[in-house]
Amino acid sequence: MLLTVDNMNVYYGAIHAIKGISFEVAEGEIVTLIGANGAGKSTTLKTVSGLLRSKTGSITFLDKDIGNVPPHKLVAQGLAHVPEGRRVFLQMTVEENLEMGAYTRKTGADSHMEKVYALFPRLKERRRQIAGTLSGGEQQMLAMGRALMSDPKLMMLDEPSMGLAPILVDQIFDIIKDLHKAGTTILLVEQNAQMALSVADRGYVLETGKIVKSAPAKDLLNDAAVKAAYLGG
Amino acid sequence: MVIFLTRLINGISLGSVYAIIALGYTMVYGIAKMLNFAHGDVIMVGAYVCFFAISTYHLNPVVGVLLAMVVCTLLGMVIERLAYKPLRQAPSLAVLITAIGVSYFLQNGAQLLWGSNNKMFPAFLKGDALQLMDGQLRVSVTTVVNVVVCVVVMLALTWFTGQTKMGKAMRACSEDKGAAQLMGINVDTTISMTFAIGSALAAVAGVLYMSSYPILVPTTGSMPGIKAFTAAVFGGIGSIPGALLGGLLLGVIEIFAGGYISTQLQNAIVFAVLIVVLLVRPTGLLGKQIREKV
Repeated sequence: MLLTVDNMNVYYGAIHAIKGISFEVAEGEIVTLIGANGAGKSTTLKTVSGLLRSKTGSITFLDKDIGNVPPHKLVAQGLAHVPEGRRVFLQMTVEENLEMGAYTRKTGADSHMEKVYALFPRLKERRRQIAGTLSGGEQQMLAMGRALMSDPKLMMLDEPSMGLAPILVDQIFDIIKDLHKAGTTILLVEQNAQMALSVADRGYVLETGKIVKSAPAKDLLNDAAVKAAYLGG
Repeated sequence: MVIFLTRLINGISLGSVYAIIALGYTMVYGIAKMLNFAHGDVIMVGAYVCFFAISTYHLNPVVGVLLAMVVCTLLGMVIERLAYKPLRQAPSLAVLITAIGVSYFLQNGAQLLWGSNNKMFPAFLKGDALQLMDGQLRVSVTTVVNVVVCVVVMLALTWFTGQTKMGKAMRACSEDKGAAQLMGINVDTTISMTFAIGSALAAVAGVLYMSSYPILVPTTGSMPGIKAFTAAVFGGIGSIPGALLGGLLLGVIEIFAGGYISTQLQNAIVFAVLIVVLLVRPTGLLGKQIREKV
């Protein structure tokens, strides 16, 4: 297993946000966590990447316990996290944002940047532009491109479709499929369950901090309860 | 006309020193989002170190300045590590009060170590003043050095934050610490580096300030410190060009106020201008409009 989360419990002060969840991601998979607003999807990703801490259990990435590793050290180990709301550096140029993505790389940043530009030609056109002037879709591309600059083994995407027009959502998901084909393992968090399940291999359904269902994505798409709750009937 | 120009030049000279100090406030604020009120007292420590190097140990003034920079760099990093780092998650009021505490600690520590008697800082910038306009307008060596150092520091910092990896990481941290961590940037190291740079600049500014106002006491740093803080806010705190603009304007306003209005009201006028600017432009002259994230 690439990533194994065992018995994760996360608190915000007195609020018990994640209640003992366990899940895993195998190499080459797209795994999705779906669930309503406030179910704990983003909290889960933030805990895996070390921005928050689990009180119990363990998080194992590439056979190493990363439960106490500070977030800035995980990038070099191959874990990239594209946070919710994109969080690109708005006052820096597109190219500088990509350079920050390669911050921990000693070599190969330049050739990797060409790869990222090949994947997102739009970013190349705008590489001298300040990121704050990009559209929402372009910012999402930049956030993903920035994460790819570290050449991650596991890419965690938090709500990549948020706030985007349907045509851009399709584009972003096409890119996710391309990345998957190229061998990147992806852990995807989405409110757009239909889209997420259509690209994923497996899915977990999160409800108020607990995993209530886990199954291959195809089965979840046809599951009556999931359909009623997340796929608009 | 000659009087006006002389005052303008003196203002720019003083303003250059304020600008260098203001950079320390503005860089630390930009990254750590805190007001380091002990910054002025780091200036004082730098001045003392240079004073002893030149007067007691008879070292070359340049060596004295370098020594002051080394001591202040370490001091700045130690202050950050011991006083501010433990408060990273604390409310900003706690950090502010701690900074004021560090300021008093440094002042009283200096008094304990070096006494409260005035020390006369030796005049180390020697040389003939430049004569302009048939000798009517004189530009002192101090002025030339202040302005040159200020310009060099500004260019170096602009290059550093714009072109180097560490400098870009600083900008990334100042925008979004969480996202910066996800890039693999060590935020603690970056904050420590910022304190180091700001404090090294404070040492330089301290020595330059001494060449215009050579009386050295343990509270020497507080007035230029508070004025440079004003300059940083005036120009837009967090902005490097803002620190330059704010520093220069403040210096000119101070000298003009003293020259044309009243030396007694000089400081009152300086701070009154700050109040007016903040009423009209709360983010300062070059400050960015801050939108609170919801």
